[in-house]
Amino acid sequence: MILLILSDLALLGMGVFGAHISIVAVQGFVLGAFALLSQYEHLTPRVGAIALITVAVKGVLFPYLLRRAIKDTEVVRESKPYVGYNTSVMGGLVVVTVSLWLGVRLPFAAAVDMPLVVASSIVTMFTGLMLTVTRRKTLTQCIGYIVFENGIYIFGMAVAGEIPLLVELGLLLDACVAVLVMGIAIYRISREFDHMDADKLRTLRG
Amino acid sequence: MSLDLVIWCMVLVPLAGGLLALSRGAVRAVMLIVCGTVLIAGVFSGAAIFRVFTHGPLSAADGWLFIDGLSAYNLVVMNLIFLLSTGFSVVYFAEEARIGTFGLKQARMFASLWCGAMAAMTLVLVSNNLGLMWVGIETTTLTTAFLICVHESRPSLEAMWKYILICSVGVAFAFMGTLLIAASAQGLDIRTTDLLLWTTLREHSVQLKPVLVKIAFIFLVVGYGAKAGLAPMHNWLPDAHSQAPSPVSALFSGFMLNAALYCIMRYLPIVEGATGGVGWGTGILSIFGLLSIVVAAAFILFQQDIKRLLAYHSVEHIGIIALGLGTGGLGTFAALFHTLNHSVCKALSFLAAGRLGQIFGSHDMKKLSGALAISPVWGWGLFAGILALVGLAPFSLFISEFLLVKALVDKSAWAPLVIFLAGVCIVFVGALAHAIPIAWGAPEPGVRRQKATGAEIALVALPLALLAVLGVWMPVPLQHAITGAADIIRGLTPATVQGVQP
Repeated sequence: MILLILSDLALLGMGVFGAHISIVAVQGFVLGAFALLSQYEHLTPRVGAIALITVAVKGVLFPYLLRRAIKDTEVVRESKPYVGYNTSVMGGLVVVTVSLWLGVRLPFAAAVDMPLVVASSIVTMFTGLMLTVTRRKTLTQCIGYIVFENGIYIFGMAVAGEIPLLVELGLLLDACVAVLVMGIAIYRISREFDHMDADKLRTLRG
Repeated sequence: MSLDLVIWCMVLVPLAGGLLALSRGAVRAVMLIVCGTVLIAGVFSGAAIFRVFTHGPLSAADGWLFIDGLSAYNLVVMNLIFLLSTGFSVVYFAEEARIGTFGLKQARMFASLWCGAMAAMTLVLVSNNLGLMWVGIETTTLTTAFLICVHESRPSLEAMWKYILICSVGVAFAFMGTLLIAASAQGLDIRTTDLLLWTTLREHSVQLKPVLVKIAFIFLVVGYGAKAGLAPMHNWLPDAHSQAPSPVSALFSGFMLNAALYCIMRYLPIVEGATGGVGWGTGILSIFGLLSIVVAAAFILFQQDIKRLLAYHSVEHIGIIALGLGTGGLGTFAALFHTLNHSVCKALSFLAAGRLGQIFGSHDMKKLSGALAISPVWGWGLFAGILALVGLAPFSLFISEFLLVKALVDKSAWAPLVIFLAGVCIVFVGALAHAIPIAWGAPEPGVRRQKATGAEIALVALPLALLAVLGVWMPVPLQHAITGAADIIRGLTPATVQGVQP
């Protein structure tokens, strides 16, 4: 969990796509491990399958797709985000504190280590949102969205782990499809515009 | 045929139709399949709706699929909009096919996504499991995203990107809300397979943990609200509506927004039950509603594109509906009635705007002037549609807005009343200032007068007649249906667990 929080802070502080993608891959593996660990007392085939799919999709498939997207477009790094890197990291630290406090306060029924888990999921969601909202490149926005999903995933595993399959399936499906769609979109957008700058997507206003 | 199967068919028929359309080799065949699919699915829905209104709720799949008065009422609206806009799409795309911008590729894409969207929206309405309902909304997002760029162009891609990004984040928020609702129900004596069932949660709403329910509802309103186009999450809406082909815009405004709002309606009684019925949830909804009305009113004044103008009208009317839901009492009734009126009227306006756009070759309101002279049928369709949208008297939108005013007065909610009336007045003036030159202005040289076919006349006349009739006369069955649905939202009807098995 601490690894996850650290990786979030790293994401907030960096602007190179390659590094971002690597971190997303690491997060994917962490999530898979988390799925196993959180249920290790009563390990069922279902949990195993979920963990496996998580690693395969979030840890391997998405990073691969994202790397392909950069190769196609030859853009390497983020250009001037709306909120600076340092400010983002500071914001992240504040959120860490607040979310730890929330993790203690909220009345959840289940699971061990609750405060830390809830806290890390909140921080991850925040990071994802920050990346989606404050960065200019469509690719970073897409990465932000995946990170946001990761946060929700942890929360879902921790809080609603025993509710039937549907929940996790929904989440995986959602993330998978979202990236797929976004991947296509990035591809089309870059082909059509010769750049991947969401900032320039502003013909439609008012 | 057993009634379980009917519910299944409502979802599966459009799905099958969409797949079938992909395998056809001619534009005509593809469009025929779309019409057939929508009709057949409509028949199934009609049967189910009739059954619900006469015999009470239906359920299937171990209680995961469920239709009660509220879903049945929304199904009526949905099928109406689908019939209307599918009929129009034939006319609209025939014109595009004539000028060569609508080939087989576009037809297949349109057909499969259109049917897919229908399946997804039906799923939203018939699912009792809140997770499944969420999957439905998610699917509508994905299918309709590509409908925006049936014609690939720079602005349409931009609109699609905005739409996907904002709505995906919204949908993720909604998922978070769903998880929190599930968390709030943990520790109660409920089977885990039943935990997310609306009927179960509704029944146990008093025992849910209020703190978690409150947080959940905020996530849900923001998430589904983004999809419904409530301000301040509405930014995607004008772009998507203006860039999509007109039948798609009609569907967006006519029903997709409602589908998202329907999810919020479902959660309202649960939230009110859990927080002790003090109006906590409805209060939040009112605030979003008022904000939407104000924002829309401000933006309507400065629009140049007719479809963007209509899109901001959608924001306004969704705001009005949210305000109605938030007011409660008679307001809930008004809100539900308003969903029907708004959907029909907005679909009509988008269809007329789209067709006029084709005739004039532009959606710029300056270039559309003299529409009544050029194409009397669609010109009147658009003009009357806008008159109805601003709440002019003979039309039913006036009645539902009037009922809302009455509800606000009953509750002595003066501040919302003043804001609502001010917003509506601004919209009235702003929209008429745009509409009058369109109707009677001098047409630009070079635009030729167009004759309408019988089908086109019917497409304009039927919705207008419906709006006018509902404005002066409310049929008793409709009144019963809306009251029943409103009672479900207000939490007056006990949740009939598992429905009535046929």
